[in-house]
Amino acid sequence: MTLPIWSLSGGQHELGLLVGVAIGFGFGFVLERAGFGRAQKLSAQFDGYDMTVFKVMFTAVVTAMLGTIVLGGLGVLDYRALVEHAASETFLWPMILGGLALGAGFVVSGYCPGTSYVAAASGKVDGMVTVLGVVAGQLAYAGLEHRGWLARFHASGAHGRLFLYDLLHLPARAGAPMVGLAVTAMALGCFIGAEKLESLLAGRAPAPASPGGRAGRLVFGGMTAFAAVALAAAALPIDSGVRPVAPGRLGAEALARRVLERPWATRVIDVRPAADCAARRVPGAECVALDQLAALGLADESGARDLVLVGEGDLDAVPPAASAYPGHVLALEGGWKAWESYALTPPAPLAPGAAPSELEQYQLRVGLASALAGMKAAPLPPAASAAAPGPRKGGGGGGCSG
Amino acid sequence: MATRDPARFWNPYLAGVALGLVLLASFVVMGNGLGASGASLRFGVAVFEAVAPRVVEASPALRRADAGGHPLDFWLVFEIAGLMLGGFVAAYTSGRLRLEVLKGPTCRTAARLGLALLGGIVMGAAARATRGCTSGQALSGGALLSAGSWAFMLSVFGGGYALAWLVRRQWR
Repeated sequence: MTLPIWSLSGGQHELGLLVGVAIGFGFGFVLERAGFGRAQKLSAQFDGYDMTVFKVMFTAVVTAMLGTIVLGGLGVLDYRALVEHAASETFLWPMILGGLALGAGFVVSGYCPGTSYVAAASGKVDGMVTVLGVVAGQLAYAGLEHRGWLARFHASGAHGRLFLYDLLHLPARAGAPMVGLAVTAMALGCFIGAEKLESLLAGRAPAPASPGGRAGRLVFGGMTAFAAVALAAAALPIDSGVRPVAPGRLGAEALARRVLERPWATRVIDVRPAADCAARRVPGAECVALDQLAALGLADESGARDLVLVGEGDLDAVPPAASAYPGHVLALEGGWKAWESYALTPPAPLAPGAAPSELEQYQLRVGLASALAGMKAAPLPPAASAAAPGPRKGGGGGGCSG
Repeated sequence: MATRDPARFWNPYLAGVALGLVLLASFVVMGNGLGASGASLRFGVAVFEAVAPRVVEASPALRRADAGGHPLDFWLVFEIAGLMLGGFVAAYTSGRLRLEVLKGPTCRTAARLGLALLGGIVMGAAARATRGCTSGQALSGGALLSAGSWAFMLSVFGGGYALAWLVRRQWR
C-alpha cells in the first residue's frame, strides 16, 4: 500500500504544495466549465428549474467515493488511513445549523466559498466581494469560537470520526462498499428524478436546463459497474490481516490534549513490557504487553473510543489483536520515548512577557508534569484481572501466537 | 471547444465525473480532500498578522492557523491559488472572462454587491462551525461517507431552498 503519498505532507512538503497547485488547477477548471463560476447558474438550483449543481455535486461524490473504495479494496490505497486523515470529526449540531446557515448564505451571495474564488478569477466583481465576506466571516467566528456559549455550541453533538457504516455497526472494509452501493443506487434514482423534473418545468424555464442525454446514461452505467466492482473487491481476501496495516499516527502533544481534555473519548494501551509500564506511563493508560493484547477481547468492544497504542518506539504495524478493534486505532508517534521527552521533561521557565501561545503550551506541559507526579501507585496490571476467565485467555493466546 | 460560446457548459454528469476524478486524485496522492474555506481563514490571518498581530494572539483558533511557520504555508492556500489559475484559464478559453457584476437586469449593482458580501460573511462563519464548506465537507467528506458531512449536505440544500424565494429578485 503505497498510496496516499504521506511524504508530500511531511518531508517533501514543498513538492506537496506544487501538487496542490496542480490539483487546484483541475478543480478550478472543472468548476468553471460546469458553470459554477456564474451565480445565476448556481442559484438556479434553488429556483428548481435547473438541477446542474445537484447533478455535478452528487456525480462527483459518487465518483470519488467509488474510486477510493475500489482502490482500497484492491489494496492499492490505504483506505482506513485516508478516512482517518481526510475526514473531519462529526459535530452534529454545528454541522446541521451551520449547514442551514451556509445554504442561506449560498442563495444570498449566489456562490459557495469555493466557487466564489472561481468567479473572482473570471472577473466577476460579486464573486470577489463574496470572497472578502467569507474571509471576514471565518475570522469573526474563529476569533470568538473559544468564548462562552459559542464554544459550547461549537463543541456540541461531538461524535468523533463517525461514518455512515458506523451507524449500521459495519466494519469499514465491508461497510464502505455496502453503503457505497446504497448511495450509488440513491444517486441514480435522484438523477432520473432530476431529469424528469427538468423536462417537466422546461416549458416555463427562462434558460434551457441541463439535459443528461446519452453521456448521462453512459455515466449511469459506469457508476453501476463500479459499484459492483467495489463490492467484489471487498470480498477479495487481500486485506485479511496477512499484510501488516500501518496505524494512524498521533503526536505526543495531540495525545496529551486528548488525555487531559477529553479522556472519555480515548483508550490508551501501553504495550511495553509490564514492568516498564508499571513504573511510568501515559496518564490513564492500561498496561497490557503485546502478547497479552488478545486477552482484552478488543474485537468485541463497541469501538466508541479511539484506541491509542503506546510502544517503546514507533509501532510499524498494528498487532492483529488490536486491528480487530471496531473503532479507530492510532499509534503514538515515536512511542514512549517521544512521550518521555515531551511530557516528562519539565518545560523551561518562561521569560516575563511571553506570548499567550507560549503561555498556553507552558500550562499544558506543567499540567502534564503534575498529573504524572501526582500518580502514586501503579494500577493493577490487567493481566491479573484478565486471568480470571482462564480458558478464554488460554484460547486467545493460542490462536494469536500462530 | 473551437468556438467560444459563453452560454455553453459541460454536460453536468461528465463535469461531475471530472470533478470526482480531481477529488480522487487529491485523496490518492495527497491523502487530503479538496477545500476552500480553510484557505480563506489563512488569508485573513496573514493580513491580520501584518497589520494587527495582537488580534491573532488573542484567539486560540487564529493562533493555530498561524502555527508552524507562515499562515500561507498551507496546502489549501496553494490549492486555491491553483483553483483561481484553473478558473481563469477555463473562463478565458470559454469566453466568460469579463470584468462584470452578475445580476438580474432590474437589480441595482449596489444591492447585488451588498447581498454578495452579506452572504459571504454568513457562509464564512457557518463554514467555521461546520468544519468546512461545500468543498471540504459536502464534496470531500461526503465521498468518504462521513456522517457529519451528509448531515451538513442535506442542511445546505434545506437552507438554500428555504431562503431562495426571498432573494430571487436579484436575478430578475
